[in-house]
Amino acid sequence: MQLFRTISNRLHYFMAVPAILLFSLFFIFPLTQGVGISLTDSNGVTRPDFIGIQNFIDFFKDDRARTDVSNTVLFALGSAPLLNLFGFLYALVLDRTFKGKAIIRAIVYLPAVISPLIMGYVWYFILQPGRGFLFHLLQKVGLDGGNWLADAHSALIVLILVNVWQFVGMTMIIYLAGLQAIPKELYEACEIDGAGYGGKLRYVTVPMLVQSIKINVVTNMIGSLSVFEIIIALTDGGPGYSTESLSIYILRMLYGSFTGYSTAVAMILFVMIVIPVIVFMRIIRKQEFEM
Amino acid sequence: MKWTRNFWTYAIVSAMALLSLIPFYILLYLSLNTPSRTLFDGLLLLPEFHIQNYADAWQKSRIGSATLNSLIIAIGAVAAIILASSMAGYTIARYNNKLHSLVFNVLLICMMIPAIIITVPLYSLMKAIGGINTHWGMILLLASNGLPFSVFLYTSFVKGLPREVEESAIIDGCTPFSAFWRVTFHFLRPVTAAVVILQGLAVWNNYGQAVFFLQSQELRTIPLAVSMFFQQYGAQWNLMAAASVIGLTPAVIAFLLFQKYFVKGLTAGAVKG
Repeated sequence: MQLFRTISNRLHYFMAVPAILLFSLFFIFPLTQGVGISLTDSNGVTRPDFIGIQNFIDFFKDDRARTDVSNTVLFALGSAPLLNLFGFLYALVLDRTFKGKAIIRAIVYLPAVISPLIMGYVWYFILQPGRGFLFHLLQKVGLDGGNWLADAHSALIVLILVNVWQFVGMTMIIYLAGLQAIPKELYEACEIDGAGYGGKLRYVTVPMLVQSIKINVVTNMIGSLSVFEIIIALTDGGPGYSTESLSIYILRMLYGSFTGYSTAVAMILFVMIVIPVIVFMRIIRKQEFEM
Repeated sequence: MKWTRNFWTYAIVSAMALLSLIPFYILLYLSLNTPSRTLFDGLLLLPEFHIQNYADAWQKSRIGSATLNSLIIAIGAVAAIILASSMAGYTIARYNNKLHSLVFNVLLICMMIPAIIITVPLYSLMKAIGGINTHWGMILLLASNGLPFSVFLYTSFVKGLPREVEESAIIDGCTPFSAFWRVTFHFLRPVTAAVVILQGLAVWNNYGQAVFFLQSQELRTIPLAVSMFFQQYGAQWNLMAAASVIGLTPAVIAFLLFQKYFVKGLTAGAVKG
């Protein structure tokens, strides 16, 4: 009885244990193992041999991998800034008071609720070359076109725009939450000092949104660098490998039983994500101190 | 002056709403067309209300059982996430020690790692514990993926909550552990709502893990069922569109039910923290 009481009195020190166990087993443990697997020629069937950094050397000689890296980076460079820009503008509009605000907010968020895979198929109906909704629509008004998915460059742009379209609501809601947390007095003080709309935006809104900016930039960087569902649904990486992302490459190498190589590519993708995120966090921390 | 300002606000927000809704309209339109009607005869964007598509798609895609699987996995994983991360967030925020700050920092770093990266070692782990093609395996796996962000939300929220919340219960004879469940947990409702929406949707829409760990047909979730259907019936757009509508409806309904709590929860958890 005494023991039971002692235990239950200390139980609160152990409340993180379920989370720690779960996360260690299903994330940390596989992650550390992954480092090992990336140094082998494992194919998932026969016994793997240690081959050092051979997989990483292969990666840099692999043309397809190089295309995928540039696709992934270009996609992220287009997608993350656009998402933040439009998310911020959307939030500014939806921060105003008008009737029906809640409904508009929900509608704008709606696409982000749906699986990117299914949403990708929906856009495929609209954009499929020679058959899609847009193709027919343009034909009706006497224009030839709407085959943007058939060309490598325009396909990448379409993928970026579809991604921005789908997740702008997600970015918006974080900015909106940040905007609503700004005390009104700050704006009033700013008005007394004679600032206009631009001044208020520059000296109150943006600095007060640092936390939202942090969350949005980081999640958008991670999300767009590891993109794959939307690409699978819209172009399946094609034409050729011209819109394939690194994540898709990782998945396909897995199916092709290049397990060791696939894991090595995964490690490279990890580094490609962590570096920009850390650099960004450094920059923004410096900004915060200066303010 | 005020009138024009209002006018422009409404013009802009209507454009925003339309932009978000038009693809859904096209989807509905396609899903109600007869198979024979090749697209858009005569631009009139009125469908033919061929409801039969839905019956066919429902039957052929087996999306009914996929919905059930998705529900089981989503409810299980979200429950596990809430249980594990609310407790962790509470104890990390309230009882500061080296272990807790280590755990918190590790989780923060792991938020940056997309789950796809650990697929290979995870596969051998899942095989070893017999978790492949099981509901529980998928539940635990997706729950652990959702932990970092949820713990982060709970921790920042509890930090903003005064200790008095549970102190009076402790004085009345509760242990700190039971005080959490009886009192503090109820104050965490806004975060819990945000976690339910964010993680619920992430689990519901998961494809990258499901495609590896749920290979048997009986265990397919909605995204898997729709993508399989697309590979088989991709040419029949009316059926495909109907299957997509069926697939996305549950998420839309759940979102509309919970969306009221959404901004509140995110403000409380993420943005102030």
